[in-house]
Formats: sequence, C-alpha cells, structure tokens
Amino acid sequence: MGELAKDLQAVFREVFDDESIELRDSMTAMDVAGWDSLMNINLIIAVEERFGVKFAAAEISGLRGKGQNVGTFLRLIASKM
Amino acid sequence: MSRSKADLNALVERHLSNHGKSRSASFAELTGRLKRAIDNGAAEMSALALQRIVDPAMEYTSAISLYRIRRKLADKLRRPVKLRIAILSSFTTDQLKQLIDLFLFAAGLEAELYVADYGLIRQEILDPASELYNFKPSLIYIATTWRDLARRPGLSDVADSVQELVEAECKDWLGLWDTAYQRSRSQIVQNNFDSPPWRQLANHEMRHCAGFGRFVARVNGRLADSAPPFVTIHDVDHLSASAGRWAWADERFYHHAKLPCAPAYLVDYAHSVASILAAQSGAGRKCLVLDLDNTLWGGIVGDDGLGGIRLGQGDAESEGFSAFQRYVKGLRMRGVILAVCSKNEERTAREVFEKHPEMELRLEDISCFVANWDDKASNIRTIAQRLEIGLNSMVFVDDNPAERAFVRQLLPEVAVPELPADPTGYIQEVERHRYFQVVSLSTEDLRRTDFYKANEAREEAQSSVKSIDDFLASLEMIARVGPIDAASIERSVQLINRSNQFNLTTKRYSSGEVLAMLQDPAWITRTVSLADRFGDNGLICVFLGKIQRDALSIDSWLMSCRVLKRGVEQFLLGQILAVAREHGLKRILGEYVPTAKNALVKEHYGKLGFAKIWTGDDGHTKWELAAGGEEQTPKTHIRLAAEKTSAAESNA
Repeated sequence: MGELAKDLQAVFREVFDDESIELRDSMTAMDVAGWDSLMNINLIIAVEERFGVKFAAAEISGLRGKGQNVGTFLRLIASKM
Repeated sequence: MSRSKADLNALVERHLSNHGKSRSASFAELTGRLKRAIDNGAAEMSALALQRIVDPAMEYTSAISLYRIRRKLADKLRRPVKLRIAILSSFTTDQLKQLIDLFLFAAGLEAELYVADYGLIRQEILDPASELYNFKPSLIYIATTWRDLARRPGLSDVADSVQELVEAECKDWLGLWDTAYQRSRSQIVQNNFDSPPWRQLANHEMRHCAGFGRFVARVNGRLADSAPPFVTIHDVDHLSASAGRWAWADERFYHHAKLPCAPAYLVDYAHSVASILAAQSGAGRKCLVLDLDNTLWGGIVGDDGLGGIRLGQGDAESEGFSAFQRYVKGLRMRGVILAVCSKNEERTAREVFEKHPEMELRLEDISCFVANWDDKASNIRTIAQRLEIGLNSMVFVDDNPAERAFVRQLLPEVAVPELPADPTGYIQEVERHRYFQVVSLSTEDLRRTDFYKANEAREEAQSSVKSIDDFLASLEMIARVGPIDAASIERSVQLINRSNQFNLTTKRYSSGEVLAMLQDPAWITRTVSLADRFGDNGLICVFLGKIQRDALSIDSWLMSCRVLKRGVEQFLLGQILAVAREHGLKRILGEYVPTAKNALVKEHYGKLGFAKIWTGDDGHTKWELAAGGEEQTPKTHIRLAAEKTSAAESNA
C-alpha cells in the first residue's frame, strides 16, 4: 500500500469512526458501512482538509456513482496534488 | 489525583498549548484516549476533558469526531436535558445541529435538538399541529440565508417601492415570530441575512436603491429595529464577512448538499449560535482577569521602571499593547468586570495605572486588583471570592505559557486562551472565543463596575460607624418596586439567568417565558431597584410568584449579591405581604432548592419567620408563612420611593 493510500485509510478510519477499515482499490461505497450521502460529504471535507485538494461539484456528486471505487478515488486525489 | 486522570490532563494541556503540525498528532492521541476512558467508565473525567478541548477554530473533521465522543458520553452520563431546541431551516442542518450540540455541551448545557424537515420554516410555524409544537421547544432557532428572502428588488424599481419590499419582507418575519411565540411561548433566535459575495451592480451595489446587497442590509437593519424582546437576531452576516464572503460561500457544497456555507466555517457558525444560547441560559462569562507585564504593556515594570515599559505611540508593538487596552476598556464599558492578577509589588503595579500617561486602563476600571508573589491560581480564587462570582465565569489572559498551563491545570473551570507571542494578535485571540456574548444590553451593564466601586466606598463607611443598624440607617436607602415591565424585562431576565448564589430555586426563564407570565393574572412579579447615598445599585432583585387558591406560591426569589445584608429581603417580604392582603390571600409558600452554589440562602425563609413544612432528603425544603395585617411588615432601613419608576427609566 502506497503512502497516499495509507493516508486515505487513516481518513476513512477517522470519518467512519472504525479502526478496522482496510482499504482496497476495488472497494466501493457499498463495501463501507455507513457510506451514505451524509457521510460522503464528511469524507469529501476530510479529504480536502487532509490533502489540501479541492473537488469539483461533479466529482463530489460522482464519488459514490457507477464505476467508482477506492482506486479511482486515489487516482483523482493524486491528480490534484 | 489518579494516574489516568493526571495523564489525561497532561494530554489535554499538551494539546491546548500545541500549535501547528504537531497539533493533529496530539489530537488523534487525545481522541483515542478519551474513547478508551469512556469505555473504562471514566465518563465524568472524559466529559471535563472534552469540554476543554472544544474550540471554535477546530477543523470540521476534528469537530465531528469530538461530536461522536460527546454522543458516546451522553449515553453514559445521562444528564438532565436543560434546553429543547427546535431548528427550522431551508438548508441542510444535520452538521450544524451536531456542532451546536457539541458547543452547548462544552458550555455545560445538555440540549435535545429537533430538526424540522428541510425547507419547512413557514409550514412548521403556521400549522398549529406541526411537529415543531409537538416537540415543545424551549427555544426555536430559525436558520436562514439570503436565499430565504422572499422578495428581490428589480433594477427599475424606484426607492419607494424598494422600501415597500423591505417593509413587506420584515412584516412576514415579524408575523412568523409572533405566531411561533404565541403557540410555543419560547424564545426565538433568527439569523439575519448574509450578503452574497457577487454583485450585480459591482461597486454601485450599495448605492443604487435596488442593489441586492443594499436590500439585504436594509432588511437586516429593519429586523434589528423591530425584533421584539422574545427574538434574538443572530448576526450571520458578520460571520460571513469575517470569514471573507467568497470563502464563506463555497457554492460547491450549497449545490451538492445545500450546506449554508463552506464546511470549514460550519464550526465557527455553530459556536456563534451556541454562544448566544449559552449566554441566554446564564452560562456566559462575566470577568476578565488580566496579567500586567507583557500582557497590558511591553517589558517588566519591576525591572524596567515606569519609564521603561513599552506602551503607546512609537513602535508597532507598543501600539499593539495600547490597542489591546482600548479593547479591554471597551469590554469594561459594557459590563465585563475587570480584575488584575499579577506577580509584582502592589505599589509598583498600581503606580503604572496612576501615573503612566499612555495607560488606557485606569485603577477605576479594575474591580479587583491583586498584585503579589503568590501563585496565580490562589490569587484567581481570591478574586472570585472578593467579587462573589464563580470560577466558571472567569477568563484569564497571560502572555506567559507556564502561568497559563498552571492556571488551566489547577482551575480547569477558568477559560485561558492561548495568547500569541505578538501583542497585536491578543484582541483576536480573546474575541474569537465569544466568552462575553451579549444578547441584550441593560443600563446596569453599562454601570456594573461603578457598582463595585460604590461597594468599596460603602465598606469603608461601614468600618467608621459603630453598629450595623447605624450603618444601614446612614446609607439612606431608597427602593423602587414594581412589576416587571417593558423597561425592566431585559435586566430581569438577565438576573434570572445569571444569579446563582442568592437564588432560592435557580429556575431559568427566557424573555419569552417571562412575557407570558406578565400576561397571566395568576402571576405576580416584582423587581426591586435600590439606591443609596453612594450611588444607584440599579435593579437588584426579582420576585416571581403565582396565586394558587388562598396562597401566594413563590416560584423564584433572587437577588444580586452586591446588596447582601442590607435588609432588602425583609423589605421585599413586606411588599409581598401587601400583595397577599390586596388579593385576600392567607398564606405565602416558599421553597429552597439546593444547588452547588446557593447554600447562602438555605435558611432564607427561616430567617424571615416562615415555618418549615417539608424537608426532602437532598436538602430541598418547603416553607409557609401565614399572611396577617399591616403590623406584620418587617422593619428595615429602606424607604419606598414615592413614585413607581422602573430602574431602566430612571437611569435613562
């Protein structure tokens, strides 16, 4: 697991208040308990705070959409850093 | 102190005094420790630690983490709910609600919050059977943004028609407040409207009569002018301006999730709302305790001498100290009590106030001056005792990190902000915590420090007369008595929510609730204002009683401690007996409900000749006095003023 993935995992653990979360690239919103629209906002805010990046409105809305998973999220963050 | 408690305290202290990068590491360690402590049954200790680390400058994600810990604690502590808050809004309030709850918890207030479905402000208020009224709120918070303005001027509108729009807009809100108040009898907090950052008319926006920014400003002004006492206007427009309007209005989160502002500012937003609710509930702070050397001036007066300290015009840092003094003086002018707590020779320290030409603060601004070589925690305790205020109503500012850490550890109830190294940053650091929130300003506030000064003169007079009776007679006291009215309601509500020591039942009421009593003929209300030859003490006593069959049942009896032992209790009893005669009542019923702070009045009714008729196992007592003829009126040295004027009127 790369540095970025490790940092993102820490963010997930804080936001979802679950120290047992182990991120894999293939994980989607369905695989993380509690990842609903409200928690999605908390996750976006936390990632913006921790990594100093800014997502576009469409990226925020699309994060839990079809074809999206932790791997695509990681690449999206990396492209902004 | 147990080891785990000492460890947790040390972690809290390290976190509070930490700046920059290492802060997030200490935060993670701290939250982990708190969760474990709660799981291990140390709920009270964790609650105290949590209350101390909550801060309006926290990041959103950290604040939400602390909120989860707060909820976890709530299940363990099961504290009684003091506030029932209903939030009505046209934006998403889930996050704001959680953060308001967190800050109320930090202020020691347990609240139950109800959030109406998104966008139903008007329906919830207008429908008498709505969930809002079923919830029975003690407070209704109407959270609006500029998007809630139902009217917008068109560019071709002339000045008069824009004025009509302003009036119509305000009439709508006034009508909603009135309906909500009539049906719930609860205090209302309403946001004003934040101006959007973009301007259709660019620089001309505020000058053209139909400029939207100008329209928003005029509606805000009109609402502030016409809001009744049961409505508090929350100044969201100022939050937006302080944050910077573009930064505040992060449109991504409005369009995606209908958040009212950028997530980063939700924390400060919630703190602002909670600080108002806390102040209304009497949980605000009253006294600013000041260190001297390098806090009020640059340098150390004991070493550098009167001429050597840096203050006033000349260089940036000296001017910074002067600006801070002017800011502090501004607080004192509106009723914040100032005290000095300094490690210095008293004579040397006082001399600066008396002789230094650049001092903005003078000795008469300081209600309690302590300069010696004792430790500061002991001295702050002394100040609290002398001023008869609680440690939890004090804020201590000191440039020295070691003194701050010392006071924080020994007196966790005292708020100790982290002053920056640069004095030009002091104002912001004190201001951002909203310690001294204002929900109303009474004439008493403007003169509070004078009261304390007059007290000193009285104490001197006391030492020069032989008996207490002679002394009281020499004061030439005159009391003004009357029901609570429009002129005295603000001060009365303030006293109801602030008095802790001389307070028989410690019941807190909002303006809304007191207004409801005034309209109910069964309720008897009285206020007493007291003047003497040293000055006017203003409104110092509030009495609330309810007629129940043949008895006058005393709901609340509270008094400012600055008029203790003057015979005001006996004097007011005379007034109450007169009320009983007027209404043909046979009995006066009193009650003492013990709290941590009101042991002072445990025997209040006994001293006034009441008989104890019931004793609870927790010290709770009930008392009764048979109401007789005029001969029953207790003798005092207080004369009733000829005409009934309320304090506020006579002070105006």
